[in-house]
Amino acid sequence: MSDFEMELEVNGRKVRRRIEPGQRLLDFLRDDLNLTGTKEGCGAGECGTCSVFVDGKLVKSCLMPAAKAQGTKVETVEGLAKPGELTPVQRAFHKTGASQCGYCIPGMVMAATSALRENPDAGIDEIKERLGGNICRCTGYTKIFEAVELAREVIAGRLNPATLEADPAGESFIGNNVRRLDAPSKVSGRLRYAGDMVMPDMLHMQVLRSPHAHAKIRSIDTSAAEALDGVACVITCDDVPGEDGFGVFVHDQPVMARGKVRHVGEAVAAVAAEDIATARKALKLIRVDYEELPGLFDPEDAMQPGAPVIHDYAPDNIVKHIPVRKGDVEKGFAEADIIVEQTYETQQVEHAYLEPEAGIAYVDADDVVTVISPSQNITHHRHMLAHIIDRPINKVRFIMSPVGGGFGGKEDMIYQGMLALAAMKTHRPVKLVFTREESIIASAKRHPSRVTYRMGLKKNGRITAASFRMISDGGAYGMSTEGVMRKAAILSCGPYDIPNVQIDTYGVYTNNTPSGAFRTFGGMQAQFATESHLDICAEKLGLDPFEIRRINMMRDGAVTHTQQKLGSVSLARVLEAAEKASRWEAGPVGQRGPVRGDLGGEGTRQPCTLGSRIKSADGHNKEKVA
Amino acid sequence: MLTCDTYRLPTSLKEALALWAGAPEGSRLVAGATDILPWAREGRAGDVHLPEMIDVSRVAELCGYEIADGRVRLGANVAYQQFLTDPVLRSHLPCMPYCAVWFADDQIREQATLAGNIVNASPAADGVPPVIAMNGDIEMARLEGGEVVTRAMPVAEFIMGPGRTKLAGNEIVTAVTLDSMQGYGGSFQKVGQRRSLVISAVCCAALVKTDASGEVFEDVRLALGGVGPVPMRLTDIEDMLRGKRIDRKLIAEASVGPADRVASRSRVAYRKAVVSGFVEAAIEDALVELGAPEPTPEQREAAHV
Ligand SMILES: Cc1cc2nc3c(=O)[nH]c(=O)nc-3n(C[C@H](O)[C@H](O)[C@H](O)COP(=O)(O)OP(=O)(O)OC[C@H]3O[C@@H](n4cnc5c(N)ncnc54)[C@H](O)[C@@H]3O)c2cc1C
Ligand code: FES
Ligand code: FES
Repeated sequence: MSDFEMELEVNGRKVRRRIEPGQRLLDFLRDDLNLTGTKEGCGAGECGTCSVFVDGKLVKSCLMPAAKAQGTKVETVEGLAKPGELTPVQRAFHKTGASQCGYCIPGMVMAATSALRENPDAGIDEIKERLGGNICRCTGYTKIFEAVELAREVIAGRLNPATLEADPAGESFIGNNVRRLDAPSKVSGRLRYAGDMVMPDMLHMQVLRSPHAHAKIRSIDTSAAEALDGVACVITCDDVPGEDGFGVFVHDQPVMARGKVRHVGEAVAAVAAEDIATARKALKLIRVDYEELPGLFDPEDAMQPGAPVIHDYAPDNIVKHIPVRKGDVEKGFAEADIIVEQTYETQQVEHAYLEPEAGIAYVDADDVVTVISPSQNITHHRHMLAHIIDRPINKVRFIMSPVGGGFGGKEDMIYQGMLALAAMKTHRPVKLVFTREESIIASAKRHPSRVTYRMGLKKNGRITAASFRMISDGGAYGMSTEGVMRKAAILSCGPYDIPNVQIDTYGVYTNNTPSGAFRTFGGMQAQFATESHLDICAEKLGLDPFEIRRINMMRDGAVTHTQQKLGSVSLARVLEAAEKASRWEAGPVGQRGPVRGDLGGEGTRQPCTLGSRIKSADGHNKEKVA
Repeated sequence: MLTCDTYRLPTSLKEALALWAGAPEGSRLVAGATDILPWAREGRAGDVHLPEMIDVSRVAELCGYEIADGRVRLGANVAYQQFLTDPVLRSHLPCMPYCAVWFADDQIREQATLAGNIVNASPAADGVPPVIAMNGDIEMARLEGGEVVTRAMPVAEFIMGPGRTKLAGNEIVTAVTLDSMQGYGGSFQKVGQRRSLVISAVCCAALVKTDASGEVFEDVRLALGGVGPVPMRLTDIEDMLRGKRIDRKLIAEASVGPADRVASRSRVAYRKAVVSGFVEAAIEDALVELGAPEPTPEQREAAHV
C-alpha cells in the first residue's frame, strides 16, 4: 500500500497528511482531523449525516474517496461559524426546537445552509426538495423546515435578527416556547456521541456474527486470528468469568453465542485490534464449526407440540403468556346480536435511529470496568454486567453518552458486554461502532403480531363481550418481550367499556431477529387491531364509526379490562376534537354517497412532487417554442 | 469497506488510458464513486480490496459538453446536477431536469455521472431510458500503439443486461452523445418506495414535439426503465402517435399496449398497472411543458371509458 499525500484546505486552514489511499473523506475528517460533527449514519449515501461542502458544493462524504478532495476547499459544520458563535441557520434551528437527539442535526444544518446558499429565496417546496437527502428520525421535519424559513427571512433582512433570540419567558414553561439547553451543542456539531469519542491507545472492535438462524456450535478456533499482527485479543463466550446472561426481564441472552446460535446476526466472537481493517481481517480467520438445526420462523409453528426447542428453559418456546379475564365472555357472547371475527397482523419494524450502536470500554486505575454507550437502561446494564464479569457493583460503571435516537432499541445490552470483556483482557480502551447493516441485523425490532379478535355486539352498537388473542414473534431472545406482552394485554381492547373480556397475549421464541422495546411497547399492535375491528363492526351495524366509539367509550368511573376504576376519562373530548379536526362527514360507512366531503381540503398533505425549482427557473421550454 | 493500494487522479485522457492499461488485474475506474462505495459493503460485495483506483473525474477531455449538428456531446464527467442547473442543457435535453430532480438527491447528483450510471447498467438506472429515447451513443477510448483510438455505439446496444456492457477491459468511456431536443417538451415519471434517494421500480421518459399549430404530434419519443433486464424504447407507440392530431383519447389508447411488455421478475402486476399510467402521464406532462393546459383528473378518467 502506498500512502496518498493529501493537501487541501479544511475550514480555512491548510492541511497536509499522508492517508490511506482508499479512505473515505468521512473517515479522513473524523479520524485524521477529529472533526466529528460530520457523522456516519449509514455509510451508504442514504441519510445525510455526513454532508460537507467540497469546493462550495454540498456532498455526502461517505460516498467520496478522500483522495478526490485533493487540492479542494472543504467546509464542515465546525467551520460554519467562529468558535463561540452560531450562524443564523444554526440559531434558527436552536430557536424553533429543530433538534431532538441531534444526530442528524449537523447534516441538516449543512443541507439548510446549502439550500439557502444555492437559492437565498428558496420557497418551502424547494427547501424540502433540497433537504431531501437528509433523514431525521425524531424531530420530524416541520421544526426543521420552520428553522430554514426563519433563517431565510433573517438572512434576507426581512426579519429582525432579534427574532432568533429566545422568546421572553412567560409565567409558566407550559404553553410557552422554551429553547432546548443542549441545542447549541447539537447545531454546532460539538456534542460528542459515543462513536465520536477517542481515547489514547484505543483498540477497535469488530464482531463475528452468525450466518445461521439456528445452529449448534461444535467449535470455535480463534488461533489464526489471534496470531495476526495488530490483533490484541479475540473473545468468545469462554472469556465470561461470571454468570453469563442478560435481558430486560429474563436473562436468556449470552454476551456471545454459547453452544448455539439462535438468529442470523448473533454475535459469536469479537476481535479487538489496532485498527478496524485489521480487526475485520482477523474475523475472516476465525473458524466456527456449526451444525445446523431446524429453524422456527413463525410463532404459531413454534407453539406446536413437538416443535424444536430454542431455549432449554422454555420447552414450549413461550417467553411469556399474559392472561386477563373480566366478567363472563360466554355469557356476553350469548347476549350479542352479532359476533364479528377477524385476524389482524402487523410486521417487524426497525427503529432506524440515526446513530448506530457505539461504545467504548476501559478499565480504570482502580480496576473499575467502565462502559460508555448510548444505553437507554444504564442502571440495569450495570447490575447485569457485574454478574456477567463477576465483579462487585462498585467495580462496574456505566456512563450514558448522548443517545442519537433510541426509541426503545437501545435498551438491550447487546454489545456492552463484549466491550467490557475485551477491555478487561487487554487493559486498553476498546471501541466498537456498528455499521448500519450491523445495527439492522443485530438489534431488536418491533414485535410482529397476529391478533385474533372475536367481538359480540348488540344491534345498537353496545359491545357485550370481546376475546382478544395476540401471538407475538419474540424472536430469538426474550429482551423486553414480557413487558411488551403485558402492555399489549393491558391496552388490548382499547379505551372501551366492555363488561366481559378474555385477553391472552403470548410472546413466543422463534429464530427470527429478537423483538424488543419500541415506542408504544405493544400498544400499537393492539390498537391497530382494536380500532380496525371497531370500524368493521360499525360497518356491519350501519353505524357511524365515531358513534360506535361513543356508545362504548370509557367514561368517568369506568372499570378497565384489568379492573382498575378510573377517576376521570377524557375520551369524549378526544373524539370530539378528532371529529372536528378531520371535518368528519357523519354517517355510516358506505352510506354517504359516492363522493366524500371530508377528504382533501385544508390541512391535508398533498401528494409529494418534485421540481419546483425547474418550474420557477425560467419557463425555458415555453419561450423556446414560441 | 473499500481499501486500495494506489489512488490515481490523472488529468489527461492519454495519462488515464496509460494508467488503466497498466493497472493490475482487479483495478477499477472511478467517476463519482456513488455506485462503487456503497457496493463495497456488507450484504453486497462486502470488504473489497482494489489494487488501483483510477479516478477519471479530473481528466480534462471528459469534462464539459459540446453541441453541434443537432447532437449534444456530453463528456463522461458530466454529473446529474448539471442537467438541472445548466440552462443550455435544460433547453437541449428537456426531459433531463425532471430525470435529475428525481435522481438520488442534490448532494449525490453533484458527484454521480450519467456515464457511470450507464456503465453500471442497473435495470433501474434512471438515466438510460431518456438516453435511448434521445438516440444516445456511447463513446469509448483505448490506447493502441500509444495513440488514443475511439469507437462509438448506441447505448441500447452497449447495455447487454443487468451489470453487463460491451465496454472492453482496456477502454474508458469518454462521452455520451444525444439528439438535441430543443423545442420538445420533456418529462420523466418515476416511482419507488419513497421520494428522495430511491431507485425506480418503474420510470418513463417522454419527449414530444408538436407542429406549428400545436395540434399535431410532430415527433414523440418514449422509453421505459425498470420493466425488464434492459430499458425499452417504445418505437411502435411513437409511430402510432407521430403525425396524429393530439387527442386525450388517442393518448389513453397509446398507453394501454406497453403494459404487456413488462418482463420483470418481481411485482409484475404492479408494474403493469404503473406502466400504462406512466406512458399517459409522461406524454401529457411533456405537452404541458409545451404550454398545454394541465389535464384534470376528471378529464383523464373520461378518456378511459
Ligand atoms: C443513495 C443513492 C441514491 C441513488 N439514486 C439513484 C437514482 O435515483 N437513480 C439511479 O439511476 N441511480 C441512483 N444511484 C446510483 C448511482 O448514483 C448512479 O448509478 C450514478 O450515476 C453512478 O455514477 P458515478 O459517477 O457515481 O459512478 P461510479 O460509482 O464512479 O462508477 C460506476 C461504474 O461505472 C464505471 N465507470 C465510471 N466512469 C467510467 C468511465 N468514464 N469509463 C468506464 N467506466 C466508468 C465504474 O468503474 C463503475 O463500474 C444512487 C446511489 C446512491 C448511493
Ligand atoms: S449519507 Fe453518508 S453516512 Fe449516511
Ligand atoms: S434529531 Fe434528527 S435524528 Fe434525532
